[in-house]
This record gives sequence, C-alpha cells and structure tokens, in this order.
Amino acid sequence: MKRQFLLTITSMALAAGISGVAHAGKSDDTLNVAIDRELESVDNYYNTAREGIVISRMVWDALLYRDPATNEYLPNLATSYKWVDSTTLEFDLRKGVTFHNGEKFDADDVVYTLDYVSDPNNGAKPARNVNWWASTEKLGDYKVRLNLKKEFPAALEFLSGPIVMYPNEYYAEVGPEGMALKPVGTGPYAVTSVEPGKRYKFKKYDGYHSSSPKGQANIGNVVIRTIAESNTQLAELFSGGIDWIWKVKPDQAERIEAQGQFTVKNSSTMRIGYLNFDAMGRHSKNPMNDVRVRRAIAHAIDREGIVNALVKGESMVVHSLCFPSQFGCTQDVPKYDYNPEKAKQLLAEAGYVDGFEIPFLAYRNRDYAEAMINNLNAVGIKTNFEYLKYAAFRDKVQDGGSPFNFGTWGSYSINDVSAITSHFQSGGKDDYSKDAEVIKQLGIGDSSVDPTVRQDAYKAALSRISGEVFMFPLWSYNTWYAFSKEVDFNPTPDEIPRFFTAKWL
Amino acid sequence: MASSDSQPNDATSVYGLMKKRVRGHQGMIIGSLIVLSVLLIALLAPLIAPHDPYQQDLLKRLIPPVWDSRGSWEHILGTDHLGRDYLSRLIYGARISLLIGIGAALISGIIGTIMGVMAGYFGGRVDMIVTFMITVRLSMPVVLVALAVVAIVGGSLQVVITVLGLLLWDRFAVVMRSSTLQIRSMDYVAAARAVGCSTSRVLVTEVMPNVVNNLIVIATIEIAHAIILEAALSFLGLGVQPPLPSWGLMVSEGKDMMLFEAWLITIPGVALFLLVLAINLMGDGVRDITAPENRN
Repeated sequence: MKRQFLLTITSMALAAGISGVAHAGKSDDTLNVAIDRELESVDNYYNTAREGIVISRMVWDALLYRDPATNEYLPNLATSYKWVDSTTLEFDLRKGVTFHNGEKFDADDVVYTLDYVSDPNNGAKPARNVNWWASTEKLGDYKVRLNLKKEFPAALEFLSGPIVMYPNEYYAEVGPEGMALKPVGTGPYAVTSVEPGKRYKFKKYDGYHSSSPKGQANIGNVVIRTIAESNTQLAELFSGGIDWIWKVKPDQAERIEAQGQFTVKNSSTMRIGYLNFDAMGRHSKNPMNDVRVRRAIAHAIDREGIVNALVKGESMVVHSLCFPSQFGCTQDVPKYDYNPEKAKQLLAEAGYVDGFEIPFLAYRNRDYAEAMINNLNAVGIKTNFEYLKYAAFRDKVQDGGSPFNFGTWGSYSINDVSAITSHFQSGGKDDYSKDAEVIKQLGIGDSSVDPTVRQDAYKAALSRISGEVFMFPLWSYNTWYAFSKEVDFNPTPDEIPRFFTAKWL
Repeated sequence: MASSDSQPNDATSVYGLMKKRVRGHQGMIIGSLIVLSVLLIALLAPLIAPHDPYQQDLLKRLIPPVWDSRGSWEHILGTDHLGRDYLSRLIYGARISLLIGIGAALISGIIGTIMGVMAGYFGGRVDMIVTFMITVRLSMPVVLVALAVVAIVGGSLQVVITVLGLLLWDRFAVVMRSSTLQIRSMDYVAAARAVGCSTSRVLVTEVMPNVVNNLIVIATIEIAHAIILEAALSFLGLGVQPPLPSWGLMVSEGKDMMLFEAWLITIPGVALFLLVLAINLMGDGVRDITAPENRN
C-alpha cells in the first residue's frame, strides 16, 4: 500500500513537471503515444528509425501489404501483380484512390516515386531498400512494369513494406524537406501537424480507400510524442498523460502487470542474439579458431536459463542463425544443449584444460552479456569484457578487431533469411569464417526465385554454420507494450505497431 | 581561541594547537571517521563481504533489502538484477571508488604539482607556457572529453584512472603556481640560494614543505571529484566494465526499476554521497587546521 502510494506520488510529480497538460484518451478520441527517440525525418525515404517506419505505415501505402498474421502478400495500391520473368514484375494499379491533399493516385505516382528514390543522387536511405531495380515503365494509366537489376527474391517483401508511394506533383514541388514537414500519402491516417523531434499529430483519413487490407482506422486521432527517458514515459503512463508505450523492460512490465491498472502485452520480434567467433583467424591466432572451443562455448551457455530469467516474454532459444518465421529458416540443424561438463571436456580436448582468456565485446543487453560471462567463467574461460556504443562496436567488428563478440540483428523486419544469414556469412565485413561452402549455398539461395531451391540452399548453409559453430545463435528478442485498459491493441512480430488496427474498448 | 599567543613558535605548542583545532573541528572528525571506515571496508572486503560479489543466481533476482517485508537476512541489502548480493557489491564497490579517486588524484597531483611549482618558481617563459596549458585544459569540458576518450578506447579501470588523472590536474597547477609564487620571494628561499643550494634542493627542501598543506586540500577535492566523475561515466556505461562492482554502475543498473524498487539506486547513491561528503569535510578540516593564520 505504502509502495503503491509512493509510486503514484512520484510518477504524478514527474509527469506534472514534464507534460504540463494531461490528455484523456478515449474521451476525446485521441490515442497518446510515447516514443523514445527523435526522428531524423518523417519522410519515409530519409529515415532509418523504427518509429519512422511505424509512422510510414500510418501515412502511406505500398503496392502490396503483408498480412502480419499470415505473412501473405495482399493487394493494396496494386490490385494484382505478375512475374513476367524472373527479373520483371508487372502491376495493375487500383483506381479511385486519392492522396490526403486530393491528388489522384495513378501510374505516374508509382513511376515518379520509384525513379526518384532509386536515383543515387537523391540519397534515399537505407540504400538497400531502393537499389535493387534498374528501371520502371508506365504501361498505361493504371499499369506499371518494374525491371530488376538481377533476380531478387525479397522484391515483394520490400514492395509490401518500405517502398511506399508518393504523390508525384506534390513531391516534385516540395521535395523531401516539404514532405518531412507536411507529409501527404494515401494511408489510413493523415498528418495534421509535425513538430520535428517533438510531436506528431494524426487524424483519421475519411477518404481512405475501402478495399485496403489495412482496413479503416478506428481511433480518430493519434498523437506521437518523443519522451526519451523510460522512467518519464512510465510516469506519464501512470498519470494518464500517455495511453500507450512500448519497449518496456521485462522487469518493469511484470510490475506494471501486477498492479493491474494497465494492459501489458508481449510479442516476439525478428531480432535474434548471437555470438560471433573468429573462426578463420581474421583477428589473430586465438582459441576461437578451433571448432572444439566454439562447440565448448555452445555447450557452456545456459540459453534456456537466461531466456527464462532475463529475456522473458515470448522469447525462445533459436538454434539456427535466423528468426523461425523468416523464409528459408529451419531449426533442423545441429543443436547444442547446456552441458558445462561436456564443454570442459571439449576444452580439454582442444588443449585448454585450464581454460584461457579472451576479449569479449558487446553493445547492448549488458545483463545478458554478464550472465554469459558467468557461464563462461564456470568452464574456465575468462573474458576481458568491453561494452561499447553500437557504432564503435560495429566498426571494431567490421575491421576485424574482435575474436569474440555478442551481437543482435533485427533483419530490418524483412521476413527472409537473406536479411540475416546472407548479411553475416556471405564473405562480407561481418564474416569471420568466410567458409566457401556457406558462401556458395547462400549465393544460390539469394539469387533463385524458386522457393524449393532457395529453401534447400539455405538449409545447407544454416546446417553448416551451426555444425561448425561459425556463429552461435542465442535467442529471439521480444517487445513489451503497456497501454491503457481502454485501448484494444495487438502487437505483431515485425515490431511495427499498427495504430490503424487499434480500437477503444 | 588558540593559546599560541602566549607560547609562540614552540614545537609542542604547535602540535598542541593542531590537536586542539582537530578536536574542535567536528566536520573533520565526522569526515575522517567515515573515510576511515570506508577505507577499512575496502581493505577488508574479502573478510567482511557476506557473499561473492560476482556470484550470480538468476533465480534470486531483485530480492529487496531486509527491512522490506519480502526481504531476508540472507541478503541484507537484497540482490541485483543478476541475483548478486547487493551488500557484497557495495563493499567491493568501495574499493573501486577509492582506487579511482586516489589513483586519479595521484596522477593529476604529480602532473599539476610539477607544472605549478615550475611555473611559480621559474616564472617568465615557463610560467607563460604553463599558464597557457592551464587555460587550454580549463576550456575543455571534462566529462565530454572523458566520455569521448573512453568511448573510443573502451572503458576499463586503468583507462578511467588514466583519463581522469590526465584531466584533473588544472586545480593542482593553479594553486601550486600561486603558492610557489608567494614562497619564491621569501627570505629563506633567498638565503638558501645565497648559500649556494642547487635549484632542485631549493625546490625540495624550501618550497615543497611550505606548499604541501595546500596540496593535501586540493588532493581531497580532486579525489572526491574523480569519484563522482567515475560514477557518472559508469552510469553512462563507459566507466569500469562489468562484472566489476562500481557504485555508479549499480545506480545505472538499478535505474530502470527506479519507480518500482527505489532501494536499487538509493543504496549506492547514499554510499556515494556519504563518501564524497566525508572526503570534502576532511579536506576542509585539513585546510582549517593547517591554516597559518589563527583560524578557528
């Protein structure tokens, strides 16, 4: 009781100092959302932050839409698509769609948008989203063709998410700066005001096309505010200034749930954690070059224990270097159970009866890293732990400066193995094994459009990666959401909250 | 008031005066007692810590301290987010704080004293160069520079001590310079020079003994300063690296649960506060007691 009282007082005091005005949610049909970062730009093509992607899905539409429940590609601004050959795609476009400013949607918008963003001079980012097609053709007022540079199996995935359509006349006039301040799209919500880095206001778009798989928005207004500090977000939630927050820490989520005043939900995400070893000796000659040592580490880490005690939620142990829902991912690969005795035995076989000492790098989840360090200590492996900011971590790893590190990868929410396994193991900067067989199989998977060929190739690659422990997959991540009991909201595994599907209860 | 008026320049009376001043200086007594106990705790950590500060138990996470209804005597101050005994980590954390405070103050003290004494004694061009370096140093934001360096090089105990040591010498240099300037013109320095003492001998036997009380005062301020800075760096994740226990790191690790388990940040926060306050009280005391004028 006393604790509860203190908590309320603290949060009210904090919130009063920060927000000034508290907004009621349901009574004025406004969903108040807090995010923890300032967006670089609201313009979909000049943003890499996840919160920008969330806004993008509200304001704009893509040609297709991936149903988050079934992962099926449904028609949105295109009514149908056809693979003419393995590098040519044709789309029939929907008639009668209008942008928020009244401009009609047609083939000119599609051609203009795709040409504009794929022109390297315009610097759209991230480049990997927009650099895979060579040209576009207008075949009629409502028909376009897309010519790919080469076979690109993830094309539909991109065309159903990040590649949204802009109004050609408006964009030609205002450019990225204008779009960032007054965004115009065809999506279920129209932007009513933008205070860069601070507050974004949205209003339900009444003219939203009725055949959209996204459906009509239910909540009239959405206000998204930047509140950087997680305790401040919580305080605002408790005091009613905010109706919806996410990325709540697992321990916090448990306490909020226990209080019973808010709905707490959890959803698995595509992010997975991994250990990366210097298998080929790119950094130096070190114990990680020996497969027995890598297998020993795989047996030494208590993944199940860490998931249950720290990661929690819908997270699970993963055995191959990908998220299970991703196309081409399989868990039918060599697995390693938690077995410290076996780990010690393998270390002894490799000639490290007394263990060894090795630098260990990480950039997030220091608590998970510390739990793993504890596991490693138990089998005699001492670590020199270094915790860096992400940019420093990435540079050091990519420059070959790390024999052993703990990283994570979110695959940009792309539901395809090429977004993770191929990223790490195709001989690029992050690759510390550069295994010829793995590179070959990933190459086959990445360049074929035949699902069976792709699946077989990826399975071969993933099995070899796990068998040789070039990288050791740990667990999937999850996101905690906490929101007002008046809100009906369902999170999705792609970590893109869809406010247009939320309702008042 | 002191009795020095009636018995001037007598060694025993100076000692007596000091003793009297110490006894009358409550701040100094309290400060010294706290510092002494923290020092003892740090030195005897392996003997008095009830548990291994590194031993994790993921099944016993976030147990509250004994005064909470959910607490137990097994973990008097509870356990942290990895199930490690909070009291043991606090005890071992004292070692880190003192080591960093004293280590950084030692490095910066050596640099600052050499520069300050040289500038004050030689004057002229040497003074100009040192003054310029002090100005340059003063124009650098300490926390930002430390953050940047640690972010690039990577944080570790040695790096933090070195970086702080290299950044905190300015006050030593400023004070040593002005003290030396005053002493340089004293008769006994002139006398020492006249009888043919070498420069180094004059510096060591005539100048240093007369500036050393200032040195101690500055050192206490800088020890406290370094401890606070380490806590700030560790709070930002760039100080000492886990699993080493540091009070700043403990505050940082407890921050997320601030609204639910306030003791997680209160306990290390209070420890930091007390230690820094005590060191400052002690520094003030040393200044008052060794002051040449008859201050009470």
